[in-house]
Amino acid sequence: MGSSMMICPRCGVEMNQHAEKLLYEAEAAGAAQVDPYLGGIVEQMHRCPGCGAGASRPEITH
Amino acid sequence: MEATRPLFIPVILGTTRQGRMSLHASRLVTQELSKHPGVESELIDIATLPLPTNNAGEAIKDAGFSAKMDRADALVLVAPEYNHGYSGLLKHVLDSCLMEYIHKAVGIVGVSAGPFGGARVIENLLPVMRELGLVTIFWDVNFSSVRNVFDANGALLDQSYIRRIDKFLKELIWMGKTLRYGREQVALQ
Repeated sequence: MGSSMMICPRCGVEMNQHAEKLLYEAEAAGAAQVDPYLGGIVEQMHRCPGCGAGASRPEITH
Repeated sequence: MEATRPLFIPVILGTTRQGRMSLHASRLVTQELSKHPGVESELIDIATLPLPTNNAGEAIKDAGFSAKMDRADALVLVAPEYNHGYSGLLKHVLDSCLMEYIHKAVGIVGVSAGPFGGARVIENLLPVMRELGLVTIFWDVNFSSVRNVFDANGALLDQSYIRRIDKFLKELIWMGKTLRYGREQVALQ
């Protein structure tokens, strides 16, 4: 993973990254976030072990 | 590990057609789900969702539906078979979310007027579920010749469906618990 943990906005505890989703439609969000090898944005999925809240953010590749 | 929060498993009624018999199937599954301790459920009727049809995808996300999908640990889709496929509006609704579904369980209930119990619509939905990040279970419920299964008031005429639904829900609840544990406790390596 190589990135910092997300903090749950409800509980303030560290969230668990459980998935990555490749988004092809998200290219408009910024070319800097597009993985040059995968051709899309890798969105990281996180869930809170305390309350179950979900959050996501794009993986920073460069 | 036993989760302290109840599992939330909404049932999505996937058709807006007038006179839909799938409504009876949806109510029955919701009722059976609610009998399980530690499980909360509610029926989500896609006919009540105010989604526009002049756009599609996450651009038309409904905040209320999104919040329910985010909270859900598993889903039941009740899908009538129309011309061997699924309702276009069901796909329209499902496509309005994405992150909300990732690593959550889904079970599909097929409904048909004919003898195959929505088997074809279920098969057609499987690749869609996979792309949405949902995890399908291997039990289905197939309401064949649905007009013989419920009366006009929605009363169940064939009690054998209760046992089939029970098997389906047990598998869905197990998968819902397991995937919740995974989402919240098992890190992607």
